[in-house]
Amino acid sequence: MVLLTGLAGIAATAIWVLDLIPSLYYEALLVVDFPLFVLSTGIWWMARERDADIPFLGY
Amino acid sequence: MIHYLIFATFFGLLLLGIHRKVIARIQRRPGPPIWQEILHMFKFSFKSTWIPNTASETLFVAVVLIAIGIWTAAFFIVLAGGSLLIIFGIYMLHKIVEHGFGLSSGSPYGKFGGVRSVISAASEIPLFVSVAAITLFTKSLSISDIIAYQEVSGPLIFVLPLVAVAMYMVVISKMPFGPFSIVESKELVSGYKTEHFGVWRAGLEICNGLKTYVLLMTFILVFIGAVPFWLMLILMILIVVTLSFICALCPMLSPFDSVTVQTLITAVMIVYVALLWWLL
Repeated sequence: MVLLTGLAGIAATAIWVLDLIPSLYYEALLVVDFPLFVLSTGIWWMARERDADIPFLGY
Repeated sequence: MIHYLIFATFFGLLLLGIHRKVIARIQRRPGPPIWQEILHMFKFSFKSTWIPNTASETLFVAVVLIAIGIWTAAFFIVLAGGSLLIIFGIYMLHKIVEHGFGLSSGSPYGKFGGVRSVISAASEIPLFVSVAAITLFTKSLSISDIIAYQEVSGPLIFVLPLVAVAMYMVVISKMPFGPFSIVESKELVSGYKTEHFGVWRAGLEICNGLKTYVLLMTFILVFIGAVPFWLMLILMILIVVTLSFICALCPMLSPFDSVTVQTLITAVMIVYVALLWWLL
């Protein structure tokens, strides 16, 4: 999911930079893609049951 | 475009960190570092996460996606100089999202927080009166038209100072630790977000960062006009510092008092707008 949403974001940006889609479509895609990318990244990154869940030990 | 969206999220979180730091210094506490909210976001996204047994699974997760989605949309609408009415519609929608956060969890604290979100929608009423007053002068609700009007007639903050004050009150009601922050009152633990922990809370932090940036950017564009990017960032910090002073010095009101004060502000604003309409 992280890969899918990340690639979708990069592909949309590339297509928009090349002026192949209007800004409105690009923004609409980001409205859907950005939240999915954020949550899927967190779910991929989060600590599993056996891991320590505090990454910033010592801070 | 996406780089600006990411910048806005992080800068919004930094503004919330500055808000916490200034409040702490006023209250003679050392306070957290100003990047604490950014650290929070990363910390929460790393923690073990699951969905509570009492929660409605679909709503519990979907509401986080919707929260980030609506503020991403709001950000692009402001950038494009779109309608002020859509932005304020999104403010209202955020109240429904907060309600969804609370109800989806199945926790009594979350539910009370959600109910208070609906009560605190009273804070949005001065917003609509402000919009009416702005429209009387600019004859348009489009942010780009409002900016164009200010280039000719000067900043609206000098033309309509009372409206700017009413809008400023709305901004206060959106800031954490403020007199109107009844949704995050300590007797409700963390209010509507009590059960949203880990990755879900990280998503909520991102939404809050983006929301703060959009709110302040809208205020500056509508009442001061188009300014250089660096000046916009400085103005945002200055506004946040003034908000922090108010939040640090005013106790949190009870839900009843919060609604009463906001209703009184609305009444004053209605009289003011009626006078303006009569004079014009």
